Amino acid sequence: MRQVKTLVCKEVLDILRDKKTLVMMVVVPVLLYPLIIIGMSLAFSYVMQSQESREHTVGYSAEYQELVDAAKEAASGRELARLTFIPAEAGEEEKIKESTDAWMDISRTENGIWHVTVQFTSSDETSSYTSEALADLLEAYSDQLLAENLRAEGLDEEFLHPVVCEEEDLTPASESFGMDIGGSIGMILIITILMGAVYPAIDATAGEKERGTLETLLTLPVTNFQMILSKYISVALFACVTAILSLLSLGGSVLFLMFGLSPELASQMGGFSFAALLRQLPLLVVTLLVTALLVTALCMCFCVFARSFKEANNYITPVMLVVMLGSMSAMIPSVRLDYRTALIPIVNVSLMVKQIIAQQFDAGLVGTTILVNFGYSIVTVWLLARMYNSEDILFSDGFRGLRLFQKRSGIREGTVPGTGDLVISIAVLLLLYLYVGMAVTVRSTLAGLLTTQLIILGLPLLVVWYMKSDVRGLFRLRRPSVRACAGGVPLYLGTYMLGLSCSMLLMRLLSQSTQNLEGSFEGILEQPLPVLLLVMALMPAVGEEILFRGFLFGSLREYFTGRAGRIALTGSARPSAAAEEKRRRERAGCVRAAVISALVFAAFHMSLVKFPATFLLGFGFACIVWRGGSIYVTMALHFLNNALSAVFLKYPEQAGKLFPILAKTEFTAVDHAALLAGGLALAAVGIAVLRRGTPVPTGSAEQTE
Amino acid sequence: MIEAIELCKQFERSVKKGRRTEKESFLAVDHVSLRAYPGEIIGILGPNGAGKTTLLRMLGMLMTPTGGEVRLTQRVPGAGISGLRGAGYDEAGAVIENEIEKKAAIGYLSGNTKLYPRFSIREYLRFLGELYGLGRKQIEERTADISRVLDMESFLDNRIERLSTGQTQRASIARCLMADPQIYILDEPTLGLDILSADAIIHFMKEQKERGKTVLYSTHYLEEAQFLCDRIYMICDGRIVAQGSPQELLAQTGTESLREAFHSIYDGQAAGSEEDICAVEDESRKGGASA
Repeated sequence: MRQVKTLVCKEVLDILRDKKTLVMMVVVPVLLYPLIIIGMSLAFSYVMQSQESREHTVGYSAEYQELVDAAKEAASGRELARLTFIPAEAGEEEKIKESTDAWMDISRTENGIWHVTVQFTSSDETSSYTSEALADLLEAYSDQLLAENLRAEGLDEEFLHPVVCEEEDLTPASESFGMDIGGSIGMILIITILMGAVYPAIDATAGEKERGTLETLLTLPVTNFQMILSKYISVALFACVTAILSLLSLGGSVLFLMFGLSPELASQMGGFSFAALLRQLPLLVVTLLVTALLVTALCMCFCVFARSFKEANNYITPVMLVVMLGSMSAMIPSVRLDYRTALIPIVNVSLMVKQIIAQQFDAGLVGTTILVNFGYSIVTVWLLARMYNSEDILFSDGFRGLRLFQKRSGIREGTVPGTGDLVISIAVLLLLYLYVGMAVTVRSTLAGLLTTQLIILGLPLLVVWYMKSDVRGLFRLRRPSVRACAGGVPLYLGTYMLGLSCSMLLMRLLSQSTQNLEGSFEGILEQPLPVLLLVMALMPAVGEEILFRGFLFGSLREYFTGRAGRIALTGSARPSAAAEEKRRRERAGCVRAAVISALVFAAFHMSLVKFPATFLLGFGFACIVWRGGSIYVTMALHFLNNALSAVFLKYPEQAGKLFPILAKTEFTAVDHAALLAGGLALAAVGIAVLRRGTPVPTGSAEQTE
Repeated sequence: MIEAIELCKQFERSVKKGRRTEKESFLAVDHVSLRAYPGEIIGILGPNGAGKTTLLRMLGMLMTPTGGEVRLTQRVPGAGISGLRGAGYDEAGAVIENEIEKKAAIGYLSGNTKLYPRFSIREYLRFLGELYGLGRKQIEERTADISRVLDMESFLDNRIERLSTGQTQRASIARCLMADPQIYILDEPTLGLDILSADAIIHFMKEQKERGKTVLYSTHYLEEAQFLCDRIYMICDGRIVAQGSPQELLAQTGTESLREAFHSIYDGQAAGSEEDICAVEDESRKGGASA
């Protein structure tokens, strides 16, 4: 820790002496925000006052003097803008029109109805203002005439309104105000953190390379992890400070505006309690910290690839756009924080801040959001640390783990996607999945499911085509052996039973019902069973297996086992010991690949309750592909798993009779014990059978880092 | 002592095949073994792209070898970093296993190891001292000693970005001295320096040798290497093609100067295929200001 502390002090001092960072951190929030907000308000207020105080001229044909006199008399008691009417004699109309701010084109019907067309220039502020003032004046006269007519007929004004409809909003005014501004505050919080993180992140990574100090740092007696951790802490610190300064500055400016310049704005707060908001301050601070950790890690992950400040700016721009888009999600009507949106980074923060400001939040959801973001931050920092261990990144000749941006003609046959390619592919897939898939799902659940599955299948195929990978070897498209089937089935059943028990426990813990899980398929349950089996079972079985077990697990397996080979070559002098060490590291590498692919598989299902079940299933499937050597086995098991769910959703009663345990909404301790014991036993049998054979050898023409 | 055992480093290079450019792997350092003892100056010579910088980076723990091992031996077993100090070499000395301790035992200096421009030399030396675990008083004393030896007192508090080339190079040497390492690895330390600054570096290397330190350095200045080095390793295409003391190399080649010996050795090694040229370009890029 002493080393990290020393490095953090060095980073902080170095960043503090960078003028660009200081401008972004201090000048923009402390000076620019108040200048913009207060300056704009003052300018607006000045323009309005000058409009109210000046004389506005209105031209009209002199033959309608009667209307103008009557209207002026009707409005005599009211506070209206100062209008000067200029009558135009015959032949002078055009001249008066040009010299006045607005012109009244007046006519009168046989029934005595006045028709007035106000001609004005909308691009001219004074002319627009005159038009509005004139409309107010004429409306006042119209009201007076109407009242006189009703009185003449012996009627009162209620005659005009036989049905009176009024709305009453039961939301407390303070809460309503909180919901209105909460979305904006969430967005501002995220964007200010982003602004605070970007420049220090670039300076600490690409800037360090550009200045040539990175190699010096590498010569010092510190680990790469200590190095990256200290950079991460420093950048996150600057992001927090910038966000706090920005929020204080913005808040101060707005309060000054409300209570100092425009007291009428304060009246719109409807009793919004700042004291109550202050009580939520610790929660907001935790949110700020967690968001800063995540945004910093994201920024650094991309900047680390760059060799210069300019290059880093190019890499970070798409990240900034995505983060900004996510930060605006709380402003979309009907998007609320639930256990699904709580899993989407940035979006969840934006929605959570809105709820906190409105003082109307669910502690479970807030806790989940904070934990989820913290978890994402840890994963991102871990990724960052791994990237910082790559010599290709540190010695700036391009990252061999990222070949997607290379010309295809320069890529060698049989190249396996590297870690950078995987991260980019999964990120693109997630964006397509969230934005395209969900946009289509809103219109039609069936079309949405089909689109999503096509994206899941299409993207990895496109990437491996581009990278000229050996698809058959990478995806393990091989005829399944008897051993793979014999081991795969019990392993699947075992993980299914363990997952079921975990899901039911979590459901009870989070007070959710099974109906919530079934809700997302509501739109398609009226479809015939074959269609259901196609979109819910067959397509996911093929697409998800190709993506998670073929593309992701396959590439990670090659990456980890390739590294294992190199480490073993470096570490040991005796050939037999080296071979044994290599085998041990390869096994560990495959397990790591299986765990990572299973985690991504579980995260993709976007359900906290189903997370352990999908993780276990994903891990089991990866083991079957690894030891069994064929993806067809897991495709069949995945189909079986999803088909069972589809049948259950379509025919719950009949299926419930067939599998009574699956129809239960709550499990007893005995049920859990039986599931755990049975699951563990079956999983152990499956693993034992799979372990009997030798795993299909890894390796391909080219292993990338 | 520092020892390279069958060191290998694999990189990729671009190879033109017809109209297509493809990547292929090659060994930038190909099974290199060498030893450098305390009180020795070892020269690493070779043309651009021979693999000198990559070899020195692996010896300096900046790069992980694809194969082989870098072994550092300390004189007093179990005495940690402090045990490295002092002259003399004991064959039975303990091997340093910990990578951080290995890094602490090495002072690495190259054209690519720049200093933090926004720091003053004093601030930078304080940061290094803290990182090496020195106390506040020790840091102050050592900073004063180093600045006196390297004649840096007049610009010790100036920001590094405002120093001249010679002053910056002296600050770089101060960086290495702060840890008082057992082994110095210097990659072209006199490159681009004026005569006075280059002489200061040469003087520094001789002084460290007298103090019983190991100095490994690469250079293109053959006359400098001839009078300075105790032993020389000549490298071509990642492999050692000749080794020995300057006198031994002259005797082996039957020449009178190291420059002639160099030509004699490399003319025999010249393999000028299109692919090699491509590899040299590729590796030079990888090494930045490569040897």
